[in-house]
Amino acid sequence: MQEIITTYEPDNCLKNGYLSVFGQIFFELKRNRWLTYQLFKRDFSSSYKQSFLGVLWAIIFPLFTIAIFIGLSRSGILNIGDIGVPYSMYALLGMTFWQFFSTGLVACSNSLVNASPMILKTNFSKKSLVIAAAGKAVVPFMLQIMMVCTLFVGYGRAPSILGLLVPAFIIPLVLFTIGLGFFTSLFNGVMRDIGNIISILLTFLMLFTPVLYARPKMGILATLTEYNPLYYLVSTPRDLVLKGLIPEWKGFLIVCFVSVFLFIGSLFVFHLTETKVTERI
Amino acid sequence: MDKETVVSVETVSKKYCKSLKRSMYYGAIDIGRNIFGLSSRSEKLRKDEFWALNDISFELKRGETLGIVGPNGSGKTTLLKLLNGIFWPDKGKVTVKGRIGALIELGTGFHPLLTGRDNVYINAAILGMTRKEVDEKFDEIIKFADIGDFIDTPVKFYSSGMFVRLGFAVAVHCDPNILLVDEVLAVGDIEFQNKCLSKISEIQENATIIIISHNMNTIKLICDRCLFLYKGNQIDLGNVSDTLNAYSKTTFNISDSKRYRSDHIEIDVLDENHFNTNNLIVNKTYHFTFAVKRLFVNRGLLISFSFLNLTNSYSHRIEVTKFSNITKMIDNVSFSISFKHLTLPPGEYTIRIAISDGDFLKRIFYLERTILFSVVEAEDSKFLNYAIS
Repeated sequence: MQEIITTYEPDNCLKNGYLSVFGQIFFELKRNRWLTYQLFKRDFSSSYKQSFLGVLWAIIFPLFTIAIFIGLSRSGILNIGDIGVPYSMYALLGMTFWQFFSTGLVACSNSLVNASPMILKTNFSKKSLVIAAAGKAVVPFMLQIMMVCTLFVGYGRAPSILGLLVPAFIIPLVLFTIGLGFFTSLFNGVMRDIGNIISILLTFLMLFTPVLYARPKMGILATLTEYNPLYYLVSTPRDLVLKGLIPEWKGFLIVCFVSVFLFIGSLFVFHLTETKVTERI
Repeated sequence: MDKETVVSVETVSKKYCKSLKRSMYYGAIDIGRNIFGLSSRSEKLRKDEFWALNDISFELKRGETLGIVGPNGSGKTTLLKLLNGIFWPDKGKVTVKGRIGALIELGTGFHPLLTGRDNVYINAAILGMTRKEVDEKFDEIIKFADIGDFIDTPVKFYSSGMFVRLGFAVAVHCDPNILLVDEVLAVGDIEFQNKCLSKISEIQENATIIIISHNMNTIKLICDRCLFLYKGNQIDLGNVSDTLNAYSKTTFNISDSKRYRSDHIEIDVLDENHFNTNNLIVNKTYHFTFAVKRLFVNRGLLISFSFLNLTNSYSHRIEVTKFSNITKMIDNVSFSISFKHLTLPPGEYTIRIAISDGDFLKRIFYLERTILFSVVEAEDSKFLNYAIS
């Protein structure tokens, strides 16, 4: 068996050259697929174990939020706007994609900190840890998709056949979530404030992003939405399912590029700094 | 690095920060610098930083076993972490060849709610095994851990011994080229400790092992060489017995405290010619004298004392009831206890003494560490006989 020689020096990556980093990252991810899966399985099978409602907890929050919004709009406090489909379908579908982002981001941000005893005692791929954490969002996502299907049956409607393309259209959302997660996990490792800031920020972001209401036509919120990548990431797959078309394909395309760059850039930064973070965690 | 060298540590230093807030600040700066491709200038100490390891160098060949000793906080675990690549050195260079198995902590990543079976897979993956390897070795791992039906019970209901058994079983089955062991064997029972030691000896044939232990017997038993660290510095590196000697000499500093005096008791060791000594030789005659001052006993003087090896590997307690008829104020009285043939195992010793009144449980005076002395083997040891037939 060929024995690999490993060298540890200060500023290792700088000495080997910037470009070699990408190769290293690629091989590390490839080599650790099974580890990533095991870590995902660990998170998944343990998180609902000592609990009566188990995995149902994953859908309780979105259902509550939707119920509040329905209440607000019925009482006239909030104008949901023109959506053209039953509101509960629109809202639940929006929440499904939004929750994927928010659950994933929170899980990623805390991944390094939660695993700090492990990180300090064994050398293993910390990228796997972050990616596996994003997997925590998968099970609630599936459950919500199932609920959406139930709603379609309940309303006697058929989703667009293009809805089958959703798995491809959420790739940018996944990359965006993990990419951002790599950054936040690093910073949270050094300063725990980041974790708190993110939970607060996510609540605000959800209200500022047209997830539970239609895209506003004018005002500050309309301008904000124009430049809000999350809006495109959530609304595009939703439109695909509900209407079978992509009205804002230009914005979506730009956000796709942004997501890919964010993902690659964050991997790069993560690779350069992960050992430094381990020391401070 | 020549062909047989497996581990090479070249002038390696590592710094830590004492202040949490500063550590956060430095961390943010270092990360920032790394992102922009600037050197982190790690060779300089900033405020509140100190060298946890300073200028360590050694090389290990295939099949060699190195023991690391030193008091707490001397950088032993940090050194293992550098070898494992968990931390990177701030100065110098670490080079390792082949797969590393680290037993810095057993059962890393064990999730309390998952069963032993599930955790074996997760732990093995974390330690770098592939799926194929785990499938192949699973039965062997279970057999080695020997925890019976508990393999399908959540780990949270394991005893600490069972936890360690399973952790060790996984770790040693990943066929490391280099095995790092950090004082993890102490939790298991005697039988399991022996099993671990024999497994380590088995691995020794092909692998390089670096082991941290506070148990000098373990070090003597399995190591070829020994490294003595003190406050991050490499004090000694060489053959095991010399290094261990240097370790106990430095730590316990025998020459400074030949005799210990307190208000109530003075202890002296006298050789057969009644000269004071603190270098004892096995099998010779010695008199231990206890001079007692200003102690009042009501119901009878009882003296109990223990010979205590400084590495905590041997102790021997003696209870003296010979003087129990003494009931009075004792002032400036010397009691002498003689050993015709001293039979303590070689090593550094101290005496712990207690004086009781009528009953050993009723202590009226107690002293932890009194005199220090060393016991050495006689030059012409009578125990050894060599024969060929």
